[in-house]
Amino acid sequence: MSGQTTRLATAEPRWLRAVLMVVGLGFLFFFLALPLVAVFVEAFQGGMSAYVEALRHPETLSAIGLTVFIAVFVLPFNIAVGVAAAWAIAKFDFRGKSLLITLIDLPFAVSPVVVGLVFLLIFGAQGLFGPWLAAHDVKIVFALPGMIIVTLFITFPFVARELIPLMQAQGKDEEEAAISLGASAWQMFFRVTLPNIKWGLLYGVILANARAMGEFGAVSVVSGHIRGETNTLPLHVEILYNEYNAVGAFASASVLALLALVTLVAKTVVEWQMRRETVMLDTPLAPENVGQPSGTQP
Amino acid sequence: MSIEICGVGKRFGNFVALDNINLSIPTGELVALLGPSGCGKTTLLRIIAGMETPDGGHVKFAGEEATHLHARERNVGFVFQHYALFRHMSVFENVAFGLRVKPRGERPAENEIRRRVIDLLKLVQLDWLADRYPSQLSGGQRQRIALARALAVEPKVLLLDEPFGALDTKVRKELRRWLRRLHDEVHISSVFVTHDQEEALEVADRVVVMNHGRIEQIGTPDEVYSNPASPFVYQFLGNVNVFHSRVHGQWADVGGGENEEKASDTPDATPSGQAEKKGEALAFVRPHDIDIERSPVAGSIEATVQDVHAIGPIVRVELAHASELIEVEITRERAAGLNLVRGLAVWLKPRQVKVFNVAASQLEEGGSGI
Repeated sequence: MSGQTTRLATAEPRWLRAVLMVVGLGFLFFFLALPLVAVFVEAFQGGMSAYVEALRHPETLSAIGLTVFIAVFVLPFNIAVGVAAAWAIAKFDFRGKSLLITLIDLPFAVSPVVVGLVFLLIFGAQGLFGPWLAAHDVKIVFALPGMIIVTLFITFPFVARELIPLMQAQGKDEEEAAISLGASAWQMFFRVTLPNIKWGLLYGVILANARAMGEFGAVSVVSGHIRGETNTLPLHVEILYNEYNAVGAFASASVLALLALVTLVAKTVVEWQMRRETVMLDTPLAPENVGQPSGTQP
Repeated sequence: MSIEICGVGKRFGNFVALDNINLSIPTGELVALLGPSGCGKTTLLRIIAGMETPDGGHVKFAGEEATHLHARERNVGFVFQHYALFRHMSVFENVAFGLRVKPRGERPAENEIRRRVIDLLKLVQLDWLADRYPSQLSGGQRQRIALARALAVEPKVLLLDEPFGALDTKVRKELRRWLRRLHDEVHISSVFVTHDQEEALEVADRVVVMNHGRIEQIGTPDEVYSNPASPFVYQFLGNVNVFHSRVHGQWADVGGGENEEKASDTPDATPSGQAEKKGEALAFVRPHDIDIERSPVAGSIEATVQDVHAIGPIVRVELAHASELIEVEITRERAAGLNLVRGLAVWLKPRQVKVFNVAASQLEEGGSGI
């Protein structure tokens, strides 16, 4: 009788724990570890030389280059707009604030394909600005600008989402203190705000970068799949795969998988840094001593 | 530098935070803005600092218009309730901040900055903490660093928002004496916000009692305590005010006939007999202003001892008169002489009574503030 009570109080029965563990680990294995291994196994099926050869193909190199270019182009915008939006939401009260928060989440809620189609409707030949753009010889859809625009849209929430709770928690006391001490707006931002949010910002940038490089749906719609021109790495993988070029497809996919692994490591390091800083901020408290002569303390 | 506030008002939506505030703070004084939370005292402080813009009225520094001066141009030192130290900077860098952000022309040289920061840290007796981070300091230490940081830019005015609010009682007491000494040493005009009447009375040269966005009374600590201008001030500055609003309704009631003299003690009082009949006046007595007698004397009322608590140097006696509870504080010696026990019938005689007209007294506001 008493034995039963103890077991109820401490934990689930052993068999249940075992089942839960098997389910959890099994899921991780089948859905995360196995595919990752499969990508590399497939990529190296033709041996190392075939792998290198596939990656050195000009179209693959151009796809990698384009992917990196888009990410590098998009991230500064993301940082600037994300910080600005988070700042506005966290430090000010204004009408429509909750609407803005909802709008920031919109890219998460909308299917990327729909995003691509929306921008087709706006900038495409039959679209809203189509005739005007054609008249002025500006190409947005089926060209780099369109791909950058949809990537911006898709990745916009990451930085802002990461910063809003952080900045809200930090309040605006430190900023006000900086101003009352005579700091200009820029000095306040670079000396006080930015150091306080740097890890959160980096975290958001890492996630945004992973998404920018990996985005398929929206980019696919507006890219036009022009080989060597508007093909990003994810699109390139699809094309190669559809051409039954398994080694080429998986070699390119392995680059994306590597990117995922790097992202994971970077994310963990940043998280660890953030935690370390908060721990450092919370632990050793010096004893309270008001009005004691100096020098008596360690 | 003197501060002049003329007709300042501020609303947040429908909430009136400040209503036509007029206040002048002479150079070198330490002034306390005292009031319950939501009375507008912090808003007033932030308007002086330039962190809020008033809806109307003027703020003048040393006679010069400063209403629309940006916070960074006002040259005020602001100390926040939760310190607002820069968490990623060492104590030294926190204090040096105000000097480092000066325009290149005015910025002191590095060794000059070092000298001044160390001087300030010595002033707040924390120079041995220069390399620590704010998180490694106790609350009291953080507050003193915040003060040193505010003083680094040599402000003409020092503003402190509930400076000791987040500290425990013992540290708070030590720190406020320390602040008083520091003020006498540095001697700049200082304004601090507090909801703690003891703090205001102990530290300030002058106390500004605020309620519902208005100033109730301005005066020295002694003036506001011994000659309160309104029932609110009376209740807010006493230890057991809630009791007394009730109790003194009672005093006014029983005051008829035998207590004529009681009301005439107080110059601005409504005659108590009249008041009692109309139910329009309220009398206030502090618990330590009541004598307990074993036999009836002129102007006394009968009451029954309900409870006797010895609290440190004083004895607090709870008595019942009709349905009302009355609280009286007497010395230990007096209590020993009276030999009070529960259920004993005694006579109470107030030494000092203040009667307010009910219409003007806004008793409910005062009562809700406690």
